[in-house]
Amino acid sequence: MSVDRPLWLAAGAVLAIGFALLYDRFQRRATARDLAYSNVEFFVAAAKPRAWIPRALQALWIVAVASVLVALSGPHLSLPVPARDGSVFICIDTSGSMASSDVTPTRAQAAKGAAAAFIDESAPGTKIGIIAFSGTAGIVQPLSTDHRQVASSLDELPLPNGATAIGDALKLAAENLPDGGHRVVILITDGVNNAGVDPLEIARWLGAHRIPVYTVGIGTPNGGLIPGTSDEATIDEDALRSYADASGGAYARAENATQLQDALARLGRITSLERKAVDASLGFAVAGALGMLAAFLLGFSTGRYP
Amino acid sequence: MTIRDALLRGRRRPRNVGAGSPTVYRGDGYEFVELRAYVPGDDVRRIDWAATARSGDLQTRVILEDVALTLAAIVDSSPSMHVGKRRPMFCAAREALGAWFGAAATDDRCLEIGADRITPPALQRNPYAVLASVGSATTPPFDAAHALRTARGALPRGSALLAISDWYDLSAEDDGLLAELGARYDCTALIARDPWYDELPLDGIVRLRGAEGGRIRAYVGRREREAYRRAVRERETSTLLRFTNTHWRTGVLRERDGAASLGAAFGLRPGEVRAR
Repeated sequence: MSVDRPLWLAAGAVLAIGFALLYDRFQRRATARDLAYSNVEFFVAAAKPRAWIPRALQALWIVAVASVLVALSGPHLSLPVPARDGSVFICIDTSGSMASSDVTPTRAQAAKGAAAAFIDESAPGTKIGIIAFSGTAGIVQPLSTDHRQVASSLDELPLPNGATAIGDALKLAAENLPDGGHRVVILITDGVNNAGVDPLEIARWLGAHRIPVYTVGIGTPNGGLIPGTSDEATIDEDALRSYADASGGAYARAENATQLQDALARLGRITSLERKAVDASLGFAVAGALGMLAAFLLGFSTGRYP
Repeated sequence: MTIRDALLRGRRRPRNVGAGSPTVYRGDGYEFVELRAYVPGDDVRRIDWAATARSGDLQTRVILEDVALTLAAIVDSSPSMHVGKRRPMFCAAREALGAWFGAAATDDRCLEIGADRITPPALQRNPYAVLASVGSATTPPFDAAHALRTARGALPRGSALLAISDWYDLSAEDDGLLAELGARYDCTALIARDPWYDELPLDGIVRLRGAEGGRIRAYVGRREREAYRRAVRERETSTLLRFTNTHWRTGVLRERDGAASLGAAFGLRPGEVRAR
């Protein structure tokens, strides 16, 4: 939490402490007006009076006054809010290994379904683009707020074939993202980078520009053969995790279509939100006023006032 | 019937013998008390022949034994006795004390056992001088058990002892001391009734200051009032029982009339108590 007017807060705190000290002094002077009783220990043991009620009343007053003081100082809270100018590039691996059927029906089809789920979960107004990559990377769908069009563009993804140029895909996303706003890159892949530029370098650059890369590894632990070859499709999880870490994102592993869809849907909700400093003056003021009202009513009902 | 008469009867009556079986001793007294049926062993010189002739049965004159009594008193002067509903409970205690010493005859000795001293014999005939020494600023904190032990060590056997206190500081270990005093003296205990015995006049958040220290700020509602009412009654009953079980005459000191409270402990009506 941050405040616009820290001096106001400090002055308010000084005033409140001064008032509390004065009040305490008056209370001590008022001791002479306390009801005298022969033996307080016996009274406590006999009547078992509820001492927590006056303490709760006191605490309520303190919290209420503190809330008002904080409200006057212009507080700002860092809260996740829907991103109005969010931009997301989904980079989908279309290398030959994505034709593997260890994830039903195929890894490519599962990735497509998961991307559709991501688009569904994204907040309206979020710009989404699609990049397909194998030996090279290309934009299938430029950034657009028309989510229906973006979803339909998934049908234009090329068939699985070729190498895996993760770095090229990340670089293409970086080049096409806007200069400001809430920006995110989603990387769905099943393989090891074996072509193009170094992805880690690009991930670091993206991280330096506050663009997190969320990586999703797709494939079963046993993997699967790349159709038409004798090569096994494996995942370099450490590498994918390092891309995510370098950019401030996160890594998730999906071994089936459902897990993949859930992971992307979750990312859709996360990436649609951004942390922003929200003016909380009104909230604190209302909470303080309600607290004072509650304290007054409680005090009135327990005979504290008038 | 006066407090002194009751004390004298107590002297005549062997301990642990029920009422109605007094032993008549030949005394130096001349104050006629009552006539009663002759009991073998009575002094034949006390037989009232005129009354015997009238009734047809032997009648014995009961004569008040005219002996000097030692009247001692312990009055709790601690701060806890200086609170009350309309006036400090200590005022009622002073009234009871006045009635106690008011019962003294010319030759009786009056002793006040205070927190730190026993009143010197020079003041025996002046109960007011005795009272003046109670509760002075230099008096050390009152300790009921300490005062009772002082009485045990100082009073002659057969003395009449009155002790007035709220008895907050009387512990269970003091029962032996009470029994010892009850066996040796004619003891009377007045228990100061809690000023809020009838009803706890508190509602809501209240602040209480203990007369002997301690403060509390708490909420008192119906539940608390009811619990307090029960506890106060239980405490008074159990305290009275402790004294009764150790052969003390007991009574309750009421705030509005201390002398009448003392008289009630002796079974007297308010008008029968003479205060000095």
